[in-house]
Amino acid sequence: MLKEGSLFSGLSVRARKLLLPAVVLVLLYFITPLILTSAATCLIRRDSVQSADVVVALGGDSRCLREREAAEIYRRGMARKVVVSGIPYAWGFDTGEAARQYLISLGVPEADVFVLRRAWNTRVEADLLAQLMRERGLKSAIVVTDPFHSRRALHTIERAASDLTFYSSPVPPGPTVWRPERWWARRGDMYLTVREGIAWANTLLGGLR
Amino acid sequence: MKWLPGKRARRSLTGLAVIVAVCLIVFFSLPRLLIAPSHIVPAEAILHYAIDPHSDADAWVAGLYRQGLVKKIVCVSRQASWELYPADFVRRHLIELGVPADDVLTLHLPMVDCMAQNLPRMVEFVKSQGWQNVVLLGRPADSRADGRLAKKYFAGAGVNAVVTYVPQEARELTDHWWAVHWKAQTMVDAAATTTLDLAYPECW
Repeated sequence: MLKEGSLFSGLSVRARKLLLPAVVLVLLYFITPLILTSAATCLIRRDSVQSADVVVALGGDSRCLREREAAEIYRRGMARKVVVSGIPYAWGFDTGEAARQYLISLGVPEADVFVLRRAWNTRVEADLLAQLMRERGLKSAIVVTDPFHSRRALHTIERAASDLTFYSSPVPPGPTVWRPERWWARRGDMYLTVREGIAWANTLLGGLR
Repeated sequence: MKWLPGKRARRSLTGLAVIVAVCLIVFFSLPRLLIAPSHIVPAEAILHYAIDPHSDADAWVAGLYRQGLVKKIVCVSRQASWELYPADFVRRHLIELGVPADDVLTLHLPMVDCMAQNLPRMVEFVKSQGWQNVVLLGRPADSRADGRLAKKYFAGAGVNAVVTYVPQEARELTDHWWAVHWKAQTMVDAAATTTLDLAYPECW
């Protein structure tokens, strides 16, 4: 309640009624970007990691930045093996095989690369990874994916293999890598953020796979 | 004592119910909203970019060629993995299906955020070949949006372009699409892409 003689006493009733929405709008203008950026930052999971049995580059990155980062982690001696994944196309080629060839071209020995085939989505990929790690006696993995995908990927993988240990090490920032700051201002980042939100809903609701 | 919701609560519930109903109607109308009617006209070339893991449009394209509806086929794709362009494999497959190698070309496109950013490259390629009439073969779920963009970019450059898709693929996609992951993903992706494109001038 505004008292007589206060800052607003000179204003008409109509002006006072308009003042509150105006203040709210101004606050929203400044606060909304902070909220949106914070929400996008929540999509990222980055763990401190020393070493693991294997480094995994999750599929779905046609630029192969995930594979390049996995090769770098392998080169630094933080993992003994590298896992990549992909999907088959009708014409007899497989993006997992292309990723494997890329790793070999980066100097990773052929014997140290495993491929998860038919990894149609993150949940299938998590099941395939868990199966491979158990079969090979691998106990821990560093998971490399895009930053926006990292929290959901780890959530899905840990749910599929709670007996194994996973660390998240997303692709470092770069000109073509998704960024949480002002993501709505860039068409590519906007799409990825919206898509990730839908994927989170599907994951939490235990929906389609 | 019986609890009766207040006037404001009833209004809120009604509003919520209306919003949920509208969302459901839009969701289940996505095939109608996204997929345009498919039609094919004789053309000098077909730009085949219906290349995805769930597609096998090549036999249909080869059939069009054999019927004389198109004279040249251009396989168009972006990189799917490291130096891996699906268009190269599609070209090889079309040649195996009996299309003469001279009549199958490839066009590699860069990674971009939206279709509109690659359309000038496609238009430039078509014009460099001297073609005036082309068919654009894409995914059913993108057909309406592609049609709108094609009209702007190709017609603007004096090229008559018709957007189409393989009818069988549309039937397969729309069959219980909400219950199958890849179908739902394709549909929701297309809806998100189409909507977001409207908000960014570089994608108009």
